[in-house]
Amino acid sequence: MDDWLIAIIKVVCIWVWVLLIAVVMTWVERRGAGLIQDRPGPNRAGPWGLFQPLADGIKLFTKEEIIPTKARKILYILGPLLFSLPAFSAYAVVPFGDKIILGGKEIILQVSDVNIGFLFILAIGSMGVYGVILGGWGSTNKYSILGGLRSTAQMVSYEVPLGLALLAIVFVYGTFSLRDISLAQQGTFLGFLPNWGIFKQPLGFILFIVAAYAEANRVPFDLPEAESEIVSGYHTEYGSMRLGLYLFGEYVNLVTISGVIVALYFGSWHMPYIDLGAYLGPISWGIVSFCIFFLKVSFFLWMFVWVRWTLPRFRYDQVMGLGWRGLIPLALFNIFITALFIQLTV
Amino acid sequence: MDLYFWVFASMSVLAGLFTIAARDALPSAMGLLTVFIALASLYLHLHAPLLAIFQVAIYAGAILILIVFVMMLLMAPGERLSAIQANVSYRGSGALLGLCLIGLVAVGTKGVSNIVSMKGVPEGFGNPSMFGDLFFRDFLLHFEVVSVLLLVALIGGIYLCKKKL
Repeated sequence: MDDWLIAIIKVVCIWVWVLLIAVVMTWVERRGAGLIQDRPGPNRAGPWGLFQPLADGIKLFTKEEIIPTKARKILYILGPLLFSLPAFSAYAVVPFGDKIILGGKEIILQVSDVNIGFLFILAIGSMGVYGVILGGWGSTNKYSILGGLRSTAQMVSYEVPLGLALLAIVFVYGTFSLRDISLAQQGTFLGFLPNWGIFKQPLGFILFIVAAYAEANRVPFDLPEAESEIVSGYHTEYGSMRLGLYLFGEYVNLVTISGVIVALYFGSWHMPYIDLGAYLGPISWGIVSFCIFFLKVSFFLWMFVWVRWTLPRFRYDQVMGLGWRGLIPLALFNIFITALFIQLTV
Repeated sequence: MDLYFWVFASMSVLAGLFTIAARDALPSAMGLLTVFIALASLYLHLHAPLLAIFQVAIYAGAILILIVFVMMLLMAPGERLSAIQANVSYRGSGALLGLCLIGLVAVGTKGVSNIVSMKGVPEGFGNPSMFGDLFFRDFLLHFEVVSVLLLVALIGGIYLCKKKL
């Protein structure tokens, strides 16, 4: 009974937390755009425009729901749902802190520590593309179909380097569990470098982050919704909260990807060089580890915004060329080097 | 009676029927997706989470997306499948392949009735490391033979794609 209660509390808390970050991210995105382009950005609703997401939410909820006459109704309605459901459930295996000991009971700060870990994220993440496909096809609009088509090609191409980069991480840590990988990143190696994934897999990290940007349809890989070419791609025909689910699901995806990056490559909840867990009590360490993890995640969330307003979009053939001719050979090379290194040292 | 099994087994059978009966290409693909996910749920129920994840990540996440990609390239929305479905030679070869598959399943299930009681699941069953042991120690030869087969298929694919054969 206790375990069930704890599990439910964890699920609800982390869900609300992720949604909250996603909401704030919509504000950060536009204020960040303003900052980078040397203009104020939304600054009317509330202090620094902080209530802007609220105003947007009210707008999206109260708008009239329109289904285009020629759209396939079932596919059209299913699209946003199939896109946002995987996004909302993928965070389940990502940790958000070390552990808290409450009343002698050890609670790990992770919804579920399954031994297949990030394979779950890979599988769930690849489901999101069906939402894009259904939306694009169901709208019966040529721009939407082009968007869906691009999305499928991009997803298939970039899943390979993503998986291969993750495979190299498995070589290094010998486990799929994100919690075990996080725990293994404590301390230092070679005497001075923190035991973080980025120092053990620098090439793997670059491959992972590039492929992850492509999987999340973020600039410079936002071909499925390239507004200068195909209006806004797969969600051209969407309005009201259905559009909101697409946009919102994207931000939830960003939170998950940032969490995975931090857990795999940036030492999760560990500070470099200092083991704070040894100095703090069990409860305060739980809170501090959550804060450290969240600070790192916020940096990567900001990086998504930063990159979006700095880089131009790739051309379509460049995206495919980079994926197949650049990333995949590099990822195979990375795996080869990692395997060779492990073979020689262990 | 195992309710979990019956729910997902009937779901996969119904979705499979929908896949071959649907008049539109994309809903048919969605039926196939449902089959994959129902099968993955059955694997989970059989204490094989890794297999379930592979089922979703590889079949639903890569192969079916490729199929949908080809579909979206070649078909216009609103185009029906009836012309393909009415083709007698397709139907005949489909029936032949289906019969072969049923025959294979029949051969595979031979001896199932001899199983009297369920053995307990061994320690660590379905773990990634256990898979690794099976692939790279117990069944290394089979694994390598399959990988050569895949390589041959890959080379064949590249050969067929060349403009001048």
